[in-house]
Amino acid sequence: MTRAEFIARLRSGLVGLPTATAADIVADYETHFADGLAAGRTEAEVAAALGDPGRLARELKAEAGIQRWRQEKNPSAAAAAVFAVLGLGAIDILILLPILMGVVGTIFGFFIAAIALFISGGGVMVAGPFAGFPGGPFAAILMGLGLMAGAVFIGALLTIVTIWLVNGVVWYARLHYRLLKPALEPQSDTLSEGTSTGGSL
Amino acid sequence: MTETIEIQLKKGVLGLCVLALLNRADSYAYEIASRLSDAIDMGEGTIYPLMRRMQSDGQVETYLVESSSGPSRKYYRLTDAGRTALAAQTAEWSAFTQAVDAVLASDANTIQASAPQAAEAQPEETEQ
Repeated sequence: MTRAEFIARLRSGLVGLPTATAADIVADYETHFADGLAAGRTEAEVAAALGDPGRLARELKAEAGIQRWRQEKNPSAAAAAVFAVLGLGAIDILILLPILMGVVGTIFGFFIAAIALFISGGGVMVAGPFAGFPGGPFAAILMGLGLMAGAVFIGALLTIVTIWLVNGVVWYARLHYRLLKPALEPQSDTLSEGTSTGGSL
Repeated sequence: MTETIEIQLKKGVLGLCVLALLNRADSYAYEIASRLSDAIDMGEGTIYPLMRRMQSDGQVETYLVESSSGPSRKYYRLTDAGRTALAAQTAEWSAFTQAVDAVLASDANTIQASAPQAAEAQPEETEQ
């Protein structure tokens, strides 16, 4: 593989990353080629020693996704981090996916319930005093406020659980990725390597 | 299986080796990669995801050094967190190798001393 081919494959693997980050990564590898050539190696030798650009790109992308998730705790960063580590193939998706789907579904359901509770609390608070609520208008307002506070509490609790869950998935994937899928061996036997080690553990 | 163990070991100690190299002197990625690929035979490309991970973990930081030929070069140096990690991992590593050496030494004695049955039974214990 020539330098241009290596860089092109690396670039196409890095699509989806912020432009500045991708450019930074590509610059690292360009420097590596320049240093290698200066040391008297050929482009093909340097490329062979570097390993598979597609796989390096996946690993770099996962690392960038995790870093972004650490900095900004929002749904899109969470999704990016989870999909990036899933892309590594370190997590056995067939085992993990059903569990994750169940957990994510439950969390989603609770979120909807919290939102519904909040809205109904607001309804009780606003409409209660005029609808002849038992105990008088003041009790209606208090009950409405209580329901809304409860909904906010549940929502906060769910957010903590969700952040904890994403951290867990990321931690698990990194742990296994670090141990099981190094970029040491050539690309041809990565698939068999990954499945055999994944199965034996 | 032997290959798998070898790869896992290398991958596991790669971070430790980088920390140790940087503790001796600040360095740039190509130098780190070529020194480590000579020493423990790893793919040179692995160094960049690793350096990025260590940077986001706060173990290393970068600075640019003007170069007489070509663009300025990105150097890595250890942070305090990196030195702490190096101390912790070095302690873990020596405890681990001492334990393994002790098991291997007693294993070698058993093989020399007596029957092959004893030698066959031994590996089962070492895996734990």
